[in-house]
Amino acid sequence: MTIDVFWRIPTHGEPSSHRARAPFRGDWFPGNDSKTLAGLSGGGNDGFTYIDYLAEIARAAEISGFQGGLIPSFPNTDEPWVISAFLARETKNFRFMIPFQPGFLNPVTAARMTASLQRATGGRALYNIITGGGGPSQLWWGDPVKHDDRYGRTTEFLDVLKGIWQGGPFSYNGKFYQVEDAGLADPLSKEEYPEIYFSGSSDAALASASKHAEYYLSWLEPLDQIKDKFARVKERTDALGRKIKCAIRVDIVARPTEEEAWREVSRGFDNIDPAVLARYKEQNTGDSVGASRQRGLRPQTINSYKDFIISPNIWTGFSLLRGGQTLGIVGSYEQVAERLDELVQLGADAFILASTPHLEEAYRVGEEVLPLVRGKSGSSSLRAVA
Amino acid sequence: MAIQFYWQLPTTNDARYGDATKQRRGESADPHYPIFSDGVTDPRRKAFNYYDYLHQVTKAADLSGFNGVQIPDYPEGEESWIVAGYIARSTSRLTLLTQFDAARGSAVYAAKNAVSFQRYTGGRFSWQITDGPACGKARKRAGDFADKADILPRIDEFITVAKGVLTTFPFNFVGRFFEVENGGFQGPLSDRKVPTIYLSGNDSDSIALSAKHADVHILNAQSHEDTRKSIAEYREAAAKSGRNPEIALRIDVLARETRDEALFDANRFLEQTGSNIAHVKSENDLLWNDFSTSYTGATASLIGSYEQVAQALAEYADLGVTQFILAAVPHFEEAYRVGTYVLPQVRSLTDPAQKQAA
Repeated sequence: MTIDVFWRIPTHGEPSSHRARAPFRGDWFPGNDSKTLAGLSGGGNDGFTYIDYLAEIARAAEISGFQGGLIPSFPNTDEPWVISAFLARETKNFRFMIPFQPGFLNPVTAARMTASLQRATGGRALYNIITGGGGPSQLWWGDPVKHDDRYGRTTEFLDVLKGIWQGGPFSYNGKFYQVEDAGLADPLSKEEYPEIYFSGSSDAALASASKHAEYYLSWLEPLDQIKDKFARVKERTDALGRKIKCAIRVDIVARPTEEEAWREVSRGFDNIDPAVLARYKEQNTGDSVGASRQRGLRPQTINSYKDFIISPNIWTGFSLLRGGQTLGIVGSYEQVAERLDELVQLGADAFILASTPHLEEAYRVGEEVLPLVRGKSGSSSLRAVA
Repeated sequence: MAIQFYWQLPTTNDARYGDATKQRRGESADPHYPIFSDGVTDPRRKAFNYYDYLHQVTKAADLSGFNGVQIPDYPEGEESWIVAGYIARSTSRLTLLTQFDAARGSAVYAAKNAVSFQRYTGGRFSWQITDGPACGKARKRAGDFADKADILPRIDEFITVAKGVLTTFPFNFVGRFFEVENGGFQGPLSDRKVPTIYLSGNDSDSIALSAKHADVHILNAQSHEDTRKSIAEYREAAAKSGRNPEIALRIDVLARETRDEALFDANRFLEQTGSNIAHVKSENDLLWNDFSTSYTGATASLIGSYEQVAQALAEYADLGVTQFILAAVPHFEEAYRVGTYVLPQVRSLTDPAQKQAA
């Protein structure tokens, strides 16, 4: 047994470092409502578009030892289906982890898209099935279906996808989806079924995940919580007679020394716009259970970056440096590797790592941190974890 | 306006021979028909497949002077949006005319994916929205249980919503098929070019829908006289909506150096496909109805010398056709042939400056 390590593709642009707000690479940066397409340097049209930069990151990730990358999809980002198809010919090993909400596609269309992408990439497509954070943004996407119903829809979607994948004929009469004598045509039907990473923290999510997912994907949470969460998922899937693996998304800042790593975070924290900090204290929207769990970790008083340290090397201020998750790992190369190994001990079978800027940090983490991770090598030198 | 030429990408299959059942370029379609005998090394192993061939057809269309590629979407073929993305970075010039059925899913999601296409290609993504399989059983196989009467109204809403979120914030819509609240793309995703919309269909409802939404209306191949009538009928309907979409013609071509060679190859093609076109009236006709394959999908082909085919296309242009969507089998070699020998003649014949001089 070994663990799988993925990288992340920064779909919504990124600054050139953790420490500064600018300059940004690409055209997604706070305050840019410019109607002109920015070039890569964040200025005017320089003949490149953001996909040229994403192609560089994908190649850096595959060269430095990552399986592939998660390609996040949000209202303000480019879309992973498009990015994956665009980069198919320019990468060799890079696996495209595509997050999408099943409600947005007819499952037969999705099956054809996926099998086509498998053919175009030599089987490098996989899913991160998400079922929607809810709140106002779900209707922004044009989806009026309620939270728990959405998980039922996800289950139906995957039922149909699986049913038609190898050619059928498959019929299904669900609440959300129906097909009659459906099946992928040869040669699409010969492709490998996509591996499924599944997100969602509610009971409805777990019920759906335990039926269809290979990997249950969670943000990093405090270690005792993540241990419980993984145990709960595995308990449910055991009851269904299935084995599920667990994966963790985590941002990291890894430097030769711990001091350098915290200095990076400290400088990033000092550069946070006060307005962003104020908004952070008030955020409270959406019906995502995972997001509200993360909100519960906010410090009562905020005087310095240190108020966000909840245990050795675990910092909860990442969402302030860039949008996304709150918890991450900060430390020396050795410390970051140790924390990752600790998470393996708690049940992690795969990681999606990220650090800013994703291009250079793919090389750094690939060269300095991954070689120190023991994973499931079973060596007796692994420390016991409380 | 300069005439535009699109070349079809064979998203279902393509081969040297008309029927294209036993082999897919770059891969073997049927293990019972291996490409090489046991005594010859096949060096390709799994290094290539049909996508590498689609990539070459795209390059052929690009190098031989087409303006774009049309990417068909058949239920049994490769999915058109994936193909469009796959070839997109191989050309900095070609427009990607991507066919799909409005049953594919959310209009907002389609529009959002289109934004990424437009951002990454400089606005070269176009939509050919079709009403999907005609037969109800085929639609159910495709996961679409909508009533036949709802197909066009759904396309109408799909386009309304897609245009809405692409151009307006906040965009609100409550329809029978789609619902959006405070939608619309912002920041760097806003104000990207709405994909040029191609619609088709000869019945009055399809024409009315096209007149309302289309930038380009596609006609199927038919005689010059029938084309003249169709264009007049369409223009009348469009004028009622105060619009004047362009007209495209979807037609296959079989053009050779001489008329005799074209006829010889046409008859061989019929033998290979096992087709029996009993109603081919006379070999004097340039336009052969139903001379096509199920995977190119045209209703007729022009068969003749380069000059004859170019002349016939120019006559369609005289009637008001401004875009041609062409195909011929095999798509790779024929892209070069048509691009090299036919397109320059049509361009010259339809060049307004030259016509004036004549």
